[in-house]
Amino acid sequence: MDIALDGAAVRFGEFQAVHPTDLTIRASEFFSILGPSGCGKTTILRLLSGFLDPSEGEVRIGGQPMAGIGPSDRPTALIFQNLALFPLMSVWENVAFGLEMRGWKKAQRRDKAHELLRMVALDGQADKLPGELSGGQRQRVAIARALAVEPAVLLLDEPLSALDLKLRQHMRAELKQLQKATGITFVYITHDQGEALTMSDRVAVMNRGWIVQVGSADDVYHRPETAFVATFVGETNRLPGRIETASDGKARIATPEGAFVAENPAGLSSGAEAILFLRPERLHLLAGRETPANTLTGKLVRRDMEGAFSTLVVETGAGQLTVQRVNAGTDPLPDGPLHLGFSDSAGVILPPGDTADD
Amino acid sequence: MTSLRRSFGAPLSAVIVLLTGIWVLGLIAAPQVIMIEQSFWRMDRPAGAAELSVRIDALYNRLDVLALDRAAAEKVKTPSSLNAELARLDAERAGIEAEIARLEAEESTPVKTWTLANYAQMGQAHLWIFAKTILASLAVTAIAFVVCYPIAYAIAKLEPPRRAALIMLALVIPYAINELLRVFAWQMILNYGGPLNAALGLVGIGPVPFLESGTGVFVAMVYAYILFMVFPLYNVLETLDTNQIEAARDLGAKTWQIHRRIVLPHARPGIAVGCIMTFMLSAGSYAVPYIMTRGTADPWFTQLVYNRFFQATNWNVGAAYAFSLLLVCTGFVFLMMKLLKVRLRDIAK
Ligand SMILES: Nc1ncnc2c1ncn2[C@@H]1O[C@H](COP(=O)(O)OP(=O)(O)OP(=O)(O)O)[C@@H](O)[C@H]1O
Ligand SMILES: [Mg+2]
Repeated sequence: MDIALDGAAVRFGEFQAVHPTDLTIRASEFFSILGPSGCGKTTILRLLSGFLDPSEGEVRIGGQPMAGIGPSDRPTALIFQNLALFPLMSVWENVAFGLEMRGWKKAQRRDKAHELLRMVALDGQADKLPGELSGGQRQRVAIARALAVEPAVLLLDEPLSALDLKLRQHMRAELKQLQKATGITFVYITHDQGEALTMSDRVAVMNRGWIVQVGSADDVYHRPETAFVATFVGETNRLPGRIETASDGKARIATPEGAFVAENPAGLSSGAEAILFLRPERLHLLAGRETPANTLTGKLVRRDMEGAFSTLVVETGAGQLTVQRVNAGTDPLPDGPLHLGFSDSAGVILPPGDTADD
Repeated sequence: MTSLRRSFGAPLSAVIVLLTGIWVLGLIAAPQVIMIEQSFWRMDRPAGAAELSVRIDALYNRLDVLALDRAAAEKVKTPSSLNAELARLDAERAGIEAEIARLEAEESTPVKTWTLANYAQMGQAHLWIFAKTILASLAVTAIAFVVCYPIAYAIAKLEPPRRAALIMLALVIPYAINELLRVFAWQMILNYGGPLNAALGLVGIGPVPFLESGTGVFVAMVYAYILFMVFPLYNVLETLDTNQIEAARDLGAKTWQIHRRIVLPHARPGIAVGCIMTFMLSAGSYAVPYIMTRGTADPWFTQLVYNRFFQATNWNVGAAYAFSLLLVCTGFVFLMMKLLKVRLRDIAK
C-alpha cells in the first residue's frame, strides 16, 4: 500500500518536531528515513502508525485518509525502537498476540505462530521467554509478531541499532529479502547511513524536523542537494570558498587550496559563498601524464590501513584532506609531495548551511 | 558470611551479625514466640478449688462471728468466767486462722497446664465475628484495589512524570494528619445528623444509619488504607514500558485486553503487596472499627482480642485469639502469592 503525507506536521506545544511535509512512499517500496538523533524520525513513524495525529495536514495510506483511525485499525504494524516484546509471554504467545486479539482459537494461533517462527528461523525457541533469547533472536521475534497481523505496511524504528556489526549486516540482508518476498511496504528508520544506503529503494534524509532530500541511494550519496545531506551521508572533504564563474551546471570555486571546477546543482552564481564537497574516493594520486580538471599538491601526514583500502590524510597548507585509495598491492606511495587530482564531475558545490557535525 | 568479612573486616562484620541477630530475635521472633507460647497454656486451679474457696469464706465468717462473741462476752461475763471464755475464743480463732492460712496456701498455687482449650474457647458468636472480620477485610481489600488501580494507572501512565509526582504528593498530604483525626472526621460526616445525611435529606432520602449498619467501617477503612494500595500499584505500573502498551494497541488490542494481558500481569507483585498490606491493616485495625461503630454494630475481631486481654484479663485466651488472626493473615499472604504467582523475592523488590 502506498503512503502519502500531505503537508503533515507535528507540534509538541511550542516545539515543531516535524515541519509540514509532503512525501509519497510507493507501494511495496523499501523506504528509509535517515537522520541524526532527535530529528523527528520516530515522530513520523508514530504519525503513520496512528499514535500521533498531525497538528496540520493529512496522512493517507492506500489512498485512505487516516484521520480518526487508531493504531489498531490501520493496515500498519510497528516494530519499536526497543522492540517492546511482552516479557511475561512466551515467544510464540508474543508472535500470536495480534491473532489472539482478533479472536483466533488457541490451536490455530499456535500453528500460525510456529509457521512465522519457522520463517525467521526460530522454531526451536517457541516456548522460551523473550528474556532468554539473544538480541538477534529477539529482533526476529519482533518481526514475526508484526508480520502475524499481515500488515500492508511495516514500520521499523531503528530495529537493528542494538545489534553488533556482524549480526546487523546479516539482519539487513534478511530484512531486505523478507521485504522482497512479502511485497509489504517497509518504512525503515535509521540513523546509520550504511544501513539506509544498502537496503533502500529510496531514502529520505531528515534534519531538525525537515525532510531535506528524497531519492535513491545514489542520489543522496552522489548528488546531495544540501550541505547537510553531503556531510551526513558518507565521508566528505569540505573546501569553503567563493564562486568565480558558473556555467552549464558547473562552477569554478576559489578556495584557499586553489580554484576548482565542480558540479553546481544549486545554480549558484559568481560571487556567492559556497562549499565544495569532495568524496575521499573521488580524489586520487596523480601518476605520470594524467591531466584532470583539478589538481592540487600536499604532504602525506598519516596513512590508515583499513584492509581493502587505505585512508590518506594529506596536508595541503590550507587544511587537511582525506583521500581513499584502493589497496591494489602494487603501487607504493611516492616520496615527497603528493600530487592529487579529481575530475570536474567529482565534486559538488553547494551553498553553506547546516552540516551533520554542528 | 565470608564475603561480608571480606568487605567489612572481622570486627565490623561481627557487629553487623550481632545487630541483625538482635533485630531478628528481638523484633520479629520474640514477640511471636511469646504470644504463641502464651496461647497454649492456662493456669488451672487444682480440683476442688471452688469448694476450697467456699470453705475459706466460711472460715472468715466464723472469725467475724468469734469477734462478735468476744465483744459480747466482755460486756456480760463476770471477770472469772470471762477469762476462761476469752481464752477459749482466742484458741478457737488461732485454730481457724491457721486453717485459713493452710487453705489459702493451697489455693494460691494454681497449676500451669498445657492445653488447646484457649482456642476452643472461641464460641460460635466469636467465631462468627472472626469470620465476619476476615470477610469484611477481604471486601475492604477488594474495594481498595478497584478504587486504586485506575488511579495508580492514570498517574503512572497517563500523566507526564512531573505532574504525577505532584499528584502523588497531594495524595500523601492528608495522611500527614493523625489517623484518629481522619477517622473521627469520617465518623462526623457519616453520623446520623452529619452532613452526608443532611445532604441526602435534601433529596428526600434517609437518614441512613451508616455507622450503625457497619457501612461506615468500610468507608473509613478504604480511606485509611488506600495509600497502602496506591503506592505499590503506582510503583509497579511506573516500571511498565509504555511501548508495550502501544505495541499491544498496534496489534489490535482493545483497552480491556491491554489491561488483562499486559498491564495486570506486569502489576502482579504490586497487587500482591497492596492487597496483603491492606488486608493485614484492615483485619488488624482496632481504632477504626471502634470509633466508627461506637459499639452500635458487631465488634471487629481485634476488639474481642483487646477485651480478652484487658477486660477479661485472660491473656492466654487473648493470645490464642491473636494467634488465630495471625494464622489467617499469614494464610492470606501465601494465598495471594500463590494466586498471583508472585515469589517472596518479587515482593521484596
Ligand atoms: N511527546 C513529546 N513531547 C514533546 N516533545 C517530543 C515528544 N516526542 C518527541 N519529542 C521531541 O521531538 C523531537 C523528535 O523526536 P523523535 O523521537 O522523533 O526523534 P528521533 O529522530 O526518533 O530520534 P532518535 O534517533 O534518538 O530515536 C525530539 O526533539 C523530541 O524531544
Ligand atoms: Mg527514535
